[in-house]
Amino acid sequence: MGVIVGPRVIDAGASLFSVLISPVAVAAGFPSPAQDYFDGRIDLNAHLIKDITSTFVVRVTGNSMEGAGISDGDELIVNRALEPKDGSVVIAVLDGELTVKRLRITATGIVLQAENPRYQDIKVSALSELTIWGVATRCLHHV
Amino acid sequence: MAKPALMRHMPQIAHVDVNCFYASAERAFDPSLEGRPLVVLSNNDGCAVTRSPEAKALGITTGEPWFKLAPRAKEWGLVAKSSNYELYGDISARVMELLGRYSAWLEVYSIDEAFLGVKGDAGTLLPLGRTIKNAVRRHVGVPVCVGIAPTKTLAKLCNKWAKNNPAFDGVCLWEAVPHDVRDSLLARLPVDEIWGIAGRLTKRLNVLGIFTVQDLVRADAVMIRDRFSVVLMRTVLELRGTPCIPMEEERIGRDQLIFSRSFATPVASADGLRQVLSIYGQQASARLFKHGLQAKVLTAFAATSPFRQQEQAYPSVCVSLPMPTADPLLLTRAAHALLPHIRDGLKYAKAGIMLTDLRPSGNQSPLELFENRHEERGIGPLLDNVSRRFGRGAIGLGHAGIKSGLDWTMKRDMRSPRYTTHWDELPVVKAA
Repeated sequence: MGVIVGPRVIDAGASLFSVLISPVAVAAGFPSPAQDYFDGRIDLNAHLIKDITSTFVVRVTGNSMEGAGISDGDELIVNRALEPKDGSVVIAVLDGELTVKRLRITATGIVLQAENPRYQDIKVSALSELTIWGVATRCLHHV
Repeated sequence: MAKPALMRHMPQIAHVDVNCFYASAERAFDPSLEGRPLVVLSNNDGCAVTRSPEAKALGITTGEPWFKLAPRAKEWGLVAKSSNYELYGDISARVMELLGRYSAWLEVYSIDEAFLGVKGDAGTLLPLGRTIKNAVRRHVGVPVCVGIAPTKTLAKLCNKWAKNNPAFDGVCLWEAVPHDVRDSLLARLPVDEIWGIAGRLTKRLNVLGIFTVQDLVRADAVMIRDRFSVVLMRTVLELRGTPCIPMEEERIGRDQLIFSRSFATPVASADGLRQVLSIYGQQASARLFKHGLQAKVLTAFAATSPFRQQEQAYPSVCVSLPMPTADPLLLTRAAHALLPHIRDGLKYAKAGIMLTDLRPSGNQSPLELFENRHEERGIGPLLDNVSRRFGRGAIGLGHAGIKSGLDWTMKRDMRSPRYTTHWDELPVVKAA
């Protein structure tokens, strides 16, 4: 019967994330009776936030990202430490404002895409011309 | 040919300092402030306490009253912000957490600066400095400079050079600065630019013909001790590369109060730290009373022992107090917000609290009682136990336990949202 308890350090490139792994029975033999007594309630921080130091919550205004399931008034969980990739939902600085867009990295250049046909995409010639403030990892959508 | 390993890598100290901290924290969430002259004002929007480089370029000085600047703000494009200590406290805690990943030995020196113990030669320390600088910028969003040297005083000095000399690109390693460059920089630096040397002391040094840092380095250390103090002699020795400024346990600065201490025996449980934090709460309260101050924001932190084979952890929390206070119970309770972040079983070697957003405590008189070393008599934990059992306010010391200050609603007309600590003040991102 294997139970993983205690800290693990996961080397994630430039930074170290300390992740506390709660007691979880590995499927081998009987489930641990002690597991029933694990008294921690679900902690959204633990599940939704990987790196608390570099994670921020922002609120969306406008509906240009509705196609991505991000509506006016929703909150986004944003990790500033993540490397933006093709397809990332990013917070970019445009004209001094924080703006949420889908990042597209193509052979012909960089595109900041809206997820709503009523909005124009923005083309940028190189990633270096763009300030990416952070990468959104979750949307807290109001249902 | 193999070089002898002996003493190849003397321990070095990295001093990391956020550039124009309050202004940078504002800009991290409001990019429209980038490139514009910006000042952050003191309590009650009194005077400029932090200036962006653009504001410095306008000739605005620290401490300049806002009523003098306001009439010209429009013409200059000058933006002023009321101080937002909740934001600064949280950003500070994030910076310190991040720095803790790069060194087993971290001393939080103030809200925006820390010393880190590092090891290596120029080939590894310069890249480390750059990594730290880039990581803080990217992960937390504020710019820092890094100075690395054999002593704290020199590390601070290097940091200053890193800030003021673009050629260093934000990271200055003492070892990597050629001797002639060092000499000419030291010869140009007035002696009061050194950590710990100010006003009157400068004048007394000038009388002896000591005007520049170079003069001080060459001064007779024993004469300095006899004429001035051991403290200044240490500065001289530090400038010569001999580390002799120990970790400080308590500091009160212009706008912050810090208590931190290393434990003789590591503390390995939240209960143990509860007691330590209670004691700090009491001590901090005593200091605030002594200086006639109250605090509105408290940061509590702990660190594991760097010398043990175990995972390192640097938990910290920032707590916005319900009202400015010097109440030992309130401070202690706020410090206890750290406890859920303490993992039983890890050995913690150090803990501390930092109080910011300090302001005069109005009409409350300082109580002599607090100047006693009551923590040695266990009053801190006692108070805490009583209040835990019978509720807050069941026991209080003098005025502090019962009354809050008179005028604690400050004028803060230009305060930005508390982006990271209040759910209804989150940064807004446009989907347009």
